[in-house]
Order: sequence, then structure tokens, then C-alpha cells
Amino acid sequence: MSQNPSEVPERITLGPEEKEELIRHTRRTDLRRIIGALFLVYGVVVTLMGILDPAADVAKTGGLHINLWSGLGMLVAAGLFFLWDRLAPVPAEDIVASAEAEEIKKAEGEGKLE
Amino acid sequence: MTLADASSLRLSLSWVDYALLIIYFATVLGIGIMAKRRVRTSMDFFLSGRSMPAWITGLAFVSANLGATEILGMAANGAQIGMSTLHYYIVGAVPAMVFLGLVMMPFYYGSKVRSVPQFMLKRFGKPAHVVNSIAFAVSNVLIAGINLYAMSIVIEAMLGWPEWVAIVVSAGFVLLYITIGGLSSAIYNEVMQFFVIVAGLVPLTVVGLHRVHGWSGLKEALLNTEGISRLHLSAWQGTGIGDVTNPIGANWLAIVLGLGFVLSFGYWTTNFTEVQRAFSAKNMSAARRTPLIGAFPKLFIPFIVVIPGLIAAATVGNQFADGTLTYNDAIPKLIQMYLPSGVLGVAVTGLMASFMAGMAANVSSFNTVFTYDIWQEYIKPNMPDAHYLRTGRWVTAIGVVVGIGAAFLAAQYGNIMTYMQTLFSFFNAPLFGVFILGLLWKRMTPAAGLWGYVAGIIAPTVVWIAYLRDESLFGSATAETMYGAIYSFLAVMVVSVVVTLFTTPKPVSELKGLVYGVGSIDVKGDVVAGDAAWYRSPALLGTVALALCVALYLPFL
Repeated sequence: MSQNPSEVPERITLGPEEKEELIRHTRRTDLRRIIGALFLVYGVVVTLMGILDPAADVAKTGGLHINLWSGLGMLVAAGLFFLWDRLAPVPAEDIVASAEAEEIKKAEGEGKLE
Repeated sequence: MTLADASSLRLSLSWVDYALLIIYFATVLGIGIMAKRRVRTSMDFFLSGRSMPAWITGLAFVSANLGATEILGMAANGAQIGMSTLHYYIVGAVPAMVFLGLVMMPFYYGSKVRSVPQFMLKRFGKPAHVVNSIAFAVSNVLIAGINLYAMSIVIEAMLGWPEWVAIVVSAGFVLLYITIGGLSSAIYNEVMQFFVIVAGLVPLTVVGLHRVHGWSGLKEALLNTEGISRLHLSAWQGTGIGDVTNPIGANWLAIVLGLGFVLSFGYWTTNFTEVQRAFSAKNMSAARRTPLIGAFPKLFIPFIVVIPGLIAAATVGNQFADGTLTYNDAIPKLIQMYLPSGVLGVAVTGLMASFMAGMAANVSSFNTVFTYDIWQEYIKPNMPDAHYLRTGRWVTAIGVVVGIGAAFLAAQYGNIMTYMQTLFSFFNAPLFGVFILGLLWKRMTPAAGLWGYVAGIIAPTVVWIAYLRDESLFGSATAETMYGAIYSFLAVMVVSVVVTLFTTPKPVSELKGLVYGVGSIDVKGDVVAGDAAWYRSPALLGTVALALCVALYLPFL
């Protein structure tokens, strides 16, 4: 991409504090947490609907407590997303490597393209 | 696409349902703002800085295709032609996705192109690239308009908003979150939308099946419905050559070659709207796994889309027959009949989100192709990166505005689903023909790429015009698109080979990494921790997906 590869630094290393901040920020905004949070809210609302007004459910569905079951299902889904996020967080070295690669690209002027 | 008139689909949403809707869209905007903090270069804006993990790009890959027309259209097909609709998923999507991941992705990702037209540029040079970029930009704005229009008529029918308000509000919203967060924002929303639409459609299917007394009850009810035979319950019966009685109206050869090979390989391997999701993956391994991971949800989507279509045929089949409802109403009608407040809000949110995701996918790939392939290549080259980032944002705005225009244009036409399929046979089938020949045959010349491609666009156009003049030529409009795609592919092959014989090929040194067997592609150079795990092997994922394809057909032979 770059015309003068000699100017491009071989490696850019981030300081330990920068790294930690970066890892914390990236993990905080992990999509799994966002989806988990959304389903947590949805699950609570829909389950409550099922508990507070079961007659409305049964009338529409012909006997199934669909709000209750869907609500509980969404709560389980939320739990699984949080669990997945907890058990397999984005590997620290991936975050750092991708950030460093980005720095190198910027130094290369990759954004400018040819 | 046409929906039932009047207010026969009007929902009564409670404040709880509206609250669920608002929570979702607030989250979408939040993601846009969050993604904005990461957008620093044009690479971030257009390709998410190539930083996404495979599960995200994989779900986005499927989700980008799970737009308005897909969900309503496939449910409509389920109601109209029954289990044959499975072909669209099993023959018509998954094998092509596996092929993309295993065979084509190394060429795409390895050559570091930013768009599919750019691959055309590298392999065949500028003339073919110009034609391809313009065709792509035009078709994407048209399709964005179709998605927008489809969304507006559903919102109008279900919520009672006037059509133009629905168009302007949803277009404005898509514009807002894409201009703020770029592709990352579009991709994150596609993934989130995927789970919400599933959370809406699963309860719908469960209640529907409960209402018709399970699968066997559904079969019984269908057989008692006027105009529906047991062929609706079978994917392959009645597709013999010369003896086509299956409601899909095509024989097995046309299904396998037209739909399965040319149309579907053309769509899934060259349609940048989907392929762009894989380009934004963090490394080669993740890029190859993107379509493979996407294949698994794709295999299970028919259970929550086609089966509701069948349920609608069984329960309100008489209303389809007498014209009170159109087939496109299948899902909205079931939502109205079966879902109580609560899950109703989730289902409506899922539908609206899927409409917007479909449109956002078109807009985000349109702005990439316009900015990189037209603006930067031919109009204003060699500008600083910030210029292209700014251009990208403007082009997004312009694309959305033109999309609104295209939506009002689409409102003039009747059947949108077939119109879309026809567009694919015009644009994707020839592109696939050119790419596959160009990948396998290093002698193929740049001129052959151009003229083969042009011939491949003309051939299906001629078939389509002939069909418009004489509808007895093909069994159905769907069958026309399959044959159109086959003729397009053949035209590409014949013209490319003939032109190649009379023109000079590119020197082999310029074809490294672009043609099979010329130079080698490093598929392991950028591996990260965990890529080596056995369950992340592309070959294994692909094999399992294909085995599941066969298994899924067995109950519906």
C-alpha cells in the first residue's frame, strides 16, 4: 500500500496502562452484553405481562401462556449471553493486536489507499 | 408487493408494545453513537476497520439478507407453493455460502479488495470495473427503495401510519445511525435484529402450531383447504422433467441449475451487500468462517418463516382464495390473530428492525462502492483520507434520499418479490459467471471479462422481455428467473471464451492471488489465538452444513 515501506514502523507497542484501558473499554461494549441487556429488559416486561394478565394470553392463543413462556425464554437467552461473555471474553491479545495493527495502518497511510 | 387493503391487518398495540419498540430503537441509536467513537479512518467507516469476530460477521451475513421482502416474501411462498420454498434455503443458499467460505473467500480477503467491484478491477481492469460499479450502485439504490416501500406498506397496514410518513421516518432513522456509526453500526444492529426477529417469530410459530393442533393437524387442515394438494407438503414430488405438477412450476434440473447453481451462487458469492460483512472480519480465518457460520441459522430460518406461511394457508386460506388477503399478508395476519400484547410488541419490533436492517445493508454497501469504486477511482483520486470519510457520509445521505425516490417509484409497480428476483438474474448471475471463469482460467482476457459480463446482462433481459410478451413460455415468474439465470450464465461462458481466443491475456505476474493456482494465498498468516480450535475449521463447518442440508430435506421428500 505504502510507497515507502522504510518509513513504516515495524511494530507499535502500547503502554501497559493504555492496554488495560483499551481492553476494559472494548469488553464493556461487547455486543453480547448489549444483546443480553436488551433481552433482560424484554424478558422482564414480557414475563410480567404474562403474570399480570394471563387471561389476555389465553384468549388470543387458545390456551397457551405465550407471554409467560416467551418472557422466561428471553430471560434464559439473556443469561446465556452474559454467561458467554463471562466465559469467553474477547482475548486481550486480540484487542491489543488489532489496535496495534490499526496504529501501523495509520502510520502507513492505509486509509489513503495507493 | 401488495398487501390487503383497508384495515384488515390493523393491530391494537398497547403502551407496553410501544415501549418495547422504543427501547429497541433507543438501543440502536446508542450503538451508533458508541460505534462513532471508533470511526477514525475511512477504513473504519466502510469496512469496520476489519476488526469483527466471526460470529458477529456471520450472523450479520445472514441478517443482511433477512430484510422485509425476505421474511414476508418467503412466508408468502410458503402459503402459496408450500414446502418447495425450502429450495430457496437448502439448494438456493447454503451450498453457495459454503462455496464462498471454502473456495472464494481466500481470493477476496487475500487480495485485500474493499469491494466486489474492486476484485473485478484487479482481475479484468477498468472497463469491466466501471460497468460493474455502476450496475451495482444503481441496483442497490433500487433495492433499498423496494425495501423501504415494503416496510412502509406494512407499517401502514399494521400501525395505521400514512405511507409517506412511514417512508420518511424509517429512512431518516436508517440515515441517522449509518452516518453516525458507519458499517460497524449497521453490522451490530443486524446481529441484534436477528435475535429480536427470532424472539418474535418463534412464539408466533408456536402459537400457530398450537392453534392448528400440531404438525399432523396442520397437514390435515391443509389437505382440506381448497386449491391445496399434498404436493404443497413435498419439496421434490412433481418436479419431473416434462411432468411438472409441483406448485413451484419448474423441473428438478431448473431448480438445481437455475436456482441452486447460477442464481444462488451468483447472489451469495458476488452480492457485495452480504460479502461486505465478511470483508470486515478481523482476519482470513474469520472471513472464511463468516458465510459458514451464517449457513447454520439460515438452515433453521424456514422453520419460523415457511411454517407460519403454511399455517396461514391452512387457517385463512379461504381469504387468500377470495382475494381478501394477499399471500404477503401471511405473517402480519398471523401476528394480528395470535399474539397478545407483550410478545406482540417484540414481533412488531423484530419486523420493523428487519426492514431497517435490509435497507441499511443496501445503503452501507452502496456508499462503499460509490466512494471507493466510482468517486475515488475515477472522479477524485489521491485525496486525503478525511475527504473520503466525508464523501462516504454525504453519499449515505444522498443514497437514502434517492432510495426514498425509488420507494415512491416502487409504489407504482405491483409484484415486488418477482421484480427483485429478476434484478438478481440480471446483475448477479453474469457476475458470478465472469468471476468463476476468471478464477479458474488464467488465460481469460480483460476484454473477455467486459464483454462476457455485458452479454450476461443482455441475455436475461431478452428472456425477461420475451416472457412479458408471452407468459406461456415459462411455468411461473419464478421459473422465468431460473431460466433467465441459466441463459445469462451460458452467454457469459460462450462470449468470454470466444473473445479470449482473439485478445491478449494479462501477464501471469499480474494475476498472483487472483486466479486459482497462480501464486499462493496465505490463509494462515494472520491467525490469532483460538483460530486453531478444531470446531473453527472451515472445512469441518462446511461439511456439517452440507450434511444438514440433506438431512433437512428428508422429512419433506
